[in-house]
Amino acid sequence: MNTEKRIDCERKGLLKISNFRLPHHFMTVGLAIALLSVLMMFIRAFVLDGELEWLKLLLQKTLLVGMLIMSLSKDKIEDEMTMGLRSQSYAIAFIVGVIYSLVMPYVEYGVSNVVHSGGEVYKDLGDFQVLLFMLMIQLMFYHTLKRYR
Amino acid sequence: MENTIKVERAILNLTQDDLAKKIGVSRQTINSIEANRYVPSTVLALKLSNVFDKPVNEFFTLSEDDY
Repeated sequence: MNTEKRIDCERKGLLKISNFRLPHHFMTVGLAIALLSVLMMFIRAFVLDGELEWLKLLLQKTLLVGMLIMSLSKDKIEDEMTMGLRSQSYAIAFIVGVIYSLVMPYVEYGVSNVVHSGGEVYKDLGDFQVLLFMLMIQLMFYHTLKRYR
Repeated sequence: MENTIKVERAILNLTQDDLAKKIGVSRQTINSIEANRYVPSTVLALKLSNVFDKPVNEFFTLSEDDY
């Protein structure tokens, strides 16, 4: 395989990955998984007894998977404009997510010190919090941009 | 960029939905193009050209802001 063919092959592979979308009905599947995860989180917190840390971690993962499925599923009519809006929403979510993960720990630290004298020690955000925020921003911006197109 | 898609569509007596179906996009995309909120790709412009049976530059023109 010569260099040109290899470059072409890599380009096609990258395009295939970047254009990957799930069929439209996966939106419902993703929404159901996300809603079920949130419901189970409430049940775990307020109904179930005992130390169920494993369930909390599992539900966090299923919530992220559900939202990722929603984010990757196609529209009823997927055209170049919706693809453009989707790219825009990913870019916004990435930038806002980075700003959020940089600023939010200081906000939490500051607020906790104002509310309780002494307050909490400074701690960074967890991966779940950042990923959830980014997926929420992406979905929210995508649907907002679509509404105002 | 300005366009006269609305006029061309009226000449052919097509609704936004009809035109959208002919070129495989959503009705909202046609609406956005007509309102100059979205500039379509060359592929889409050529599809419109096929439907209207006219060259692209007859219904898409550059505005002063584009220079």
